Amino acid sequence: MCLGIPGRVVDLRDDQGLLMGTIDFGGVQRDVCFEYLAGDIKAGDYAIVHVGFAISRIDEQEARRTYEALREMSQLDELEWLREVAEAGIGLGTTGDDGTKASAP
Amino acid sequence: MTVASDLRSVLTCALPHPEGERVQLGHGSGGRLSAALFRDRFLPHFRNPELERLGDGAVLHLSNGYGSGTEVVFSTDTFVVSPLEFPGGNIGSLAVHGTVNDLAMMGGTPQYLSAGFVLEEGLPFDLLDRIITSMGEAAREAGVVLVTGDTKVVERGKADGLYVNTTGIGVVSPEFRPAPDRAREGDAVLVSGPIGRHGMAIMAAREDLGLRTTIESDSASLFPLVTRLREALGDDVRVLRDATRGGVASALNEIAAASGVGISLGATIPVPPAVHAACEMLGLDPLYVANEGVLVALVPSGRAEEARDALRGHPLGREAAIIGRAVRDHPGMVVMRTGLGGSRIVDLLPGDQLPRIC
Amino acid sequence: MKFLDEYRDGALARGLVDRIRATATRSWTLMEVCGGQTHTIVRQGIDEVLEGVVEMIHGPGCPVCVTPLEQIDKALLLAQRPDVIFTSFGDMLRVPGSTCDLLQVRARGGTVRIVYSPLDALELARRHPDREVVFFAVGFETTAPANAMAVWRARELGIGNFSVLVSHVTVPPAITAVLEAPDARVQGFLAAGHVCTVMGWEEYEPIAERYRVPIVVTGFEPVDILEGILMAVKQLEAGRYDVENQYIRAVQRQGTVPARNLVERVFTLVDRTWRGLGVIPASGLGLREEFAEFDAERRFGLGSMHVSEPEACQAGAVLSGRIKPPACAAFGTACTPDHPLGAPMVSSEGACAAYYQYGRLWVGSRPAGPSRLDVRDQSLSAVQGEGEGSP
Repeated sequence: MCLGIPGRVVDLRDDQGLLMGTIDFGGVQRDVCFEYLAGDIKAGDYAIVHVGFAISRIDEQEARRTYEALREMSQLDELEWLREVAEAGIGLGTTGDDGTKASAP
Repeated sequence: MTVASDLRSVLTCALPHPEGERVQLGHGSGGRLSAALFRDRFLPHFRNPELERLGDGAVLHLSNGYGSGTEVVFSTDTFVVSPLEFPGGNIGSLAVHGTVNDLAMMGGTPQYLSAGFVLEEGLPFDLLDRIITSMGEAAREAGVVLVTGDTKVVERGKADGLYVNTTGIGVVSPEFRPAPDRAREGDAVLVSGPIGRHGMAIMAAREDLGLRTTIESDSASLFPLVTRLREALGDDVRVLRDATRGGVASALNEIAAASGVGISLGATIPVPPAVHAACEMLGLDPLYVANEGVLVALVPSGRAEEARDALRGHPLGREAAIIGRAVRDHPGMVVMRTGLGGSRIVDLLPGDQLPRIC
Repeated sequence: MKFLDEYRDGALARGLVDRIRATATRSWTLMEVCGGQTHTIVRQGIDEVLEGVVEMIHGPGCPVCVTPLEQIDKALLLAQRPDVIFTSFGDMLRVPGSTCDLLQVRARGGTVRIVYSPLDALELARRHPDREVVFFAVGFETTAPANAMAVWRARELGIGNFSVLVSHVTVPPAITAVLEAPDARVQGFLAAGHVCTVMGWEEYEPIAERYRVPIVVTGFEPVDILEGILMAVKQLEAGRYDVENQYIRAVQRQGTVPARNLVERVFTLVDRTWRGLGVIPASGLGLREEFAEFDAERRFGLGSMHVSEPEACQAGAVLSGRIKPPACAAFGTACTPDHPLGAPMVSSEGACAAYYQYGRLWVGSRPAGPSRLDVRDQSLSAVQGEGEGSP
């Protein structure tokens, strides 16, 4: 249920009517069934694999975008953060902040 | 004591029911079951101070009864790994390295080995030749001489091809006596290299998991590393342990228990990327994966960097790192600080880890 | 590993913790559904660093843990048969049945093999036409497409000596059951990321709406979980109750449609017993009649069995989030991974195992349950831990 890990598609082939292929997890490779992503997957893409099956293609652009947003958020200066909080309409927490950056130590 | 690098016991492990009446694979994995088996079934019949130290080997005084004698380290290990050949070595080289390392961890200079073989009827000679050739090379490289041995043959279907026991002996001096119970609060904990290679190489060599990788076993004699530590720190090398079955986690737990200290680990322990990936795939924790060419060392905190640099001066220790320290808190327990500032116990597993889906 | 390691970034995680603390004006109670999420939370000490702001209740998202004792006993029966090669994921092998577990069956001579994928079990069947290969199909919706494919292929390729012992459960009914419980405390959910990778999140929208609880589809790495918690807390602070997706890189609203289609083709919704929770209607998957020949229970004539749980085991209370593992009287004493009373102590996803293994030097602001040191090996000298270490 949970152990789905991301890997890079190396190649794809037909195995008696089933779309199979090789996936590379950071240097370790395995045969995986890609039938559920047929038509939407190609070599070089990234996919989530669970028990030998690719169950979704990773949207790399989305991933990059949201990750960058996360990184920025953790580096936002106080003013920007306050503005964002005001826009979202949520109350300010009592953080005990003394006005310094509300970011990662 | 046995080293169960047997793949089957890497993959599977049994837990006993309280009424469990039989030996299970988990008893050979180096975790809690193994400890209990030894303590409850063997130790009562062989009580002596040396055995009860639970070291990798025994330090003995051999006396001629006339006032002169010498001190030696004596150790034995049995190898049942399957498959017999794996990337980075085979059961033969493993058998040499394993016992040489046990002697070295006690401060001994490995000198002589014996080897006892159980061969399965039908074992191909070319396979046997490769194993023995490998053994000979490993012995020469490690500077040990095989001086006596024995061979038996059993029927087809037993012995997984080949089992081998090696027993080793070497001199030891009073000035260099690392022992598992010598750790003190404040000591630095070091690891000599990246972890998880041997266990994952074995796992990958197993066909039915279908993993393809370049991971190789790190099987090697650790004596050169120990020598460097000895030259740099002498008797300040308080504890040495090779992190074999049960991995770094088990070795540190044994040390914490024997010394009555807690061990606190920081987050960065070197793991090769491919080991990391293979562990993620199977849901395994590299801390518990067997190594055959990695040691952990405890030295006074003031000499930690010296020790690390001494290790790094040798190819086998290139990635040596200080990974934690012995503490007064939680004696007998190993605790790792997480990147979040939380903490988690790194406990002894009952047996081996199982690959999982979840 | 790309798309994995960066979500373990400590600095990013700490920043998210700060954000959560800054956003919350009061404390909130959330439930993470999936056992893999539970393990990350406990292992990383996420609940520890959010103490006082967010309480995480651990939900029934451990398919191994919720597999009823009856199914385990059926597995044991099959595994003991000399004509059967019994195959399973590794997780199931240590789960205790009424009398023993699969590994002990193996010790006594049964053929029990761990496989990585159900297709491997199918391949075993192909290679051993003289034996019956049974695969223990346990899991949530994430694993259903793999099992469906194995059954489908078995029929397609005419592999007659293959069957599956099914114990599939689905998540939404479990969430509903938790919300319907009289003492329900959960105010928001982190939905299981990989279940939603397959199924999407459409079926959670009516739940969020009806019970007015935010549901955030969340991944499994520390940064994922913290971001999911932050999103849930933001909703709670704003009085919203929507379904949101944190696990954007892997999940879309409709899920993976071909996978859903084959699951629907091969399986049908059935009532299922959840260990410790009782029968939840339409909460499981069973093979459709058309595929009955691949149902191991039918093939081997296994009727229903009535087995009783060990009394001391409080798996149900733990799985529904009513208690934390250390509050169980048996935790760490009669029940440890060495001699577990129930699945949550054995399964790698189980809450009890997580608490025991990764340990609680800290539970809430006080030590709860027996000190870990007290229950360890007697060969250690007894030490009184205060429950608050300073590692």
